[in-house]
Amino acid sequence: MLRKGLLLQAFFKKELILFRRYLHNSVGSMITLYVIFLLLVGGFQGVRALVGVGADTLEGLVVGYVLWIFMLSTYQDVWYTVRTEAQEGTLEQLYMSAHGFGWVMGAKVVAGFFTNLIMVAVLLAAALLTTGVSVNLDFWSLLPLVIGTLLGSAGIGFAVGGITLVLKRIDSYTQMVQFLLIALVGAPAGRIIWMRLLPCSYGSALINRVMVGGQNLSQIGFGHVAAMILIGVGHLLAGYGIYKFCEHRAMIQGTLGHY
Amino acid sequence: MIQVEALEKVYPGRKGQAGVKAVDNISFGVHEGELLGFLGPNGAGKTTTVKMLCGLIRPSSGRIFINGIDLLQRRISALADVSAVLEGNRNIYWRLTAQENLEFFAAVRGLNPARLRNEIGYYLKLFNLTEKRDVEARKLSRGMQQKLAIAVALISQSKVVLLDEPTLGLDVQASYEIRQLLKQIVKEQGRTVILTTHDMNVVQDACQRVIIVNEGRIVANDSVHNLLDLFKVKVYRITVQGGLTAEQRQALLAMEEVIIEEESPIQTAISVRLEESQILYRVIGVLESNHSPIESIDQDQNNFERVFLQILEGGSQGA
Ligand SMILES: Nc1ncnc2c1ncn2[C@@H]1O[C@H](COP(=O)(O)OP(=O)(O)OP(=O)(O)O)[C@@H](O)[C@H]1O
Ligand SMILES: [Mg+2]
Repeated sequence: MLRKGLLLQAFFKKELILFRRYLHNSVGSMITLYVIFLLLVGGFQGVRALVGVGADTLEGLVVGYVLWIFMLSTYQDVWYTVRTEAQEGTLEQLYMSAHGFGWVMGAKVVAGFFTNLIMVAVLLAAALLTTGVSVNLDFWSLLPLVIGTLLGSAGIGFAVGGITLVLKRIDSYTQMVQFLLIALVGAPAGRIIWMRLLPCSYGSALINRVMVGGQNLSQIGFGHVAAMILIGVGHLLAGYGIYKFCEHRAMIQGTLGHY
Repeated sequence: MIQVEALEKVYPGRKGQAGVKAVDNISFGVHEGELLGFLGPNGAGKTTTVKMLCGLIRPSSGRIFINGIDLLQRRISALADVSAVLEGNRNIYWRLTAQENLEFFAAVRGLNPARLRNEIGYYLKLFNLTEKRDVEARKLSRGMQQKLAIAVALISQSKVVLLDEPTLGLDVQASYEIRQLLKQIVKEQGRTVILTTHDMNVVQDACQRVIIVNEGRIVANDSVHNLLDLFKVKVYRITVQGGLTAEQRQALLAMEEVIIEEESPIQTAISVRLEESQILYRVIGVLESNHSPIESIDQDQNNFERVFLQILEGGSQGA
């Protein structure tokens, strides 16, 4: 267990070093994301249909946008890591880890969660300041909901990462996942029950009840929270299963280290 | 230390096409503390074999034991004793410094980087990278990057180190340095090293034993010393002024032991393997027939490159 702690620590350190060393990159992408937000607000009426559920209000738009960024970052942490490390030649080294590759990716995602959290917090603040709206930031209610939601996007990341290992050069298709994530954030899982089974949608709906509706966990009901997290775990496991299946193919094809 | 039994790899073909047999039923063992060279032409199956030993490519059949542990059954425990540099300078993070790379990969390999200060310092010094410890890997020269990648493989303290073409793309000086370092590591730390290469100098200089592979099969497996001995025939190099006549050329080419190495109207060079003493006189006879003036006759040392080519041509006679 101690050794897993060291692994996590190593990824934290690496994330922080790269975040600081390439600060202009980090800031640059945050500015880009902020500009996207401005466009969203500008075209609010037009995109309302897309962002769906909470987007009847500006608050809903802010929440949907910030959650989308968070999900996108988590998805990238998995998929993009697999893709670039295969390309750069370091993936094979991670595969020879004494911890096993699953733990290595786990550490990467957890470390990434915290750097993403910083970025999301900054963007949220910027979005709130720009629009002048306020949302309910009940941290302890939001934390389990956000984590439960991100399990789904990590699952999607594993599935897409696995497919990338086998098929290679599918960047133009994987771009569509970004839009898929928007649709998932906006799916009205509050009203339409079956949509709760979609990755991230249930969590998104519950997060809206906290941030826009002003509720806390006990008002939402622990049954909802537990069901949402269970579904999230299911998506994560399914995504990881797809990944393992593809990994097996890649080891037979000998393409683990190629891109 | 390593035991490979009847290893085979057939890459599945793309839709409708036949697969590629990259490794064809090879078996060999490697002792602890041995520096083994894996030599073969492009496409011989060297990388495929090494990656199977790293658990990165699944063999079609056969078995691999590392320190007695079956790699295919117990991958993670078998790999605890293996580290590798597979892509020369690509196995490190280019945006991390030399020191950060060493620390990060130590943790990935299950060690505590904070306890490895001395080791990290030691390898940086050994590989002449101390001054570059805080420089991002992307800003190092190719030779330094490759040395850093090897240092990263060594920091994991694994007993077995696999290196796929560790001197590829390096200049003479850097290649020499890496060879010396490898010899030192094997001698001082008793690690087992397998390296693949096209470079005969690397094998002749650094390796104790060499396995020569061609088209997925082992064609020779012997000490470098023995292989050189086996082919230790005297070679004479005869230089003649001017070119050859058609009859001369034909007569020379009819002799198996003769190679016309270069021919121009100004000068012609012929090498003769002296497998029986008469052959030299017959060659000189042919040259005399047209009064070609012989400039010099030199004795040539048989080197590993020629041995290698003879083995590849002759199939498995060296094995
Ligand atoms: N992923 C792959 N899929 C299909 N065929 C492959 C794959 N990798 C290698 N091969 C084929 O397998 C054979 C052996 O390749 P390998 O890379 O092991 O040779 P090598 O000895 O390392 O060659 P080189 O000296 O060029 O590095 C070659 O015919 C190659 O084309
Ligand atoms: Mg190769």
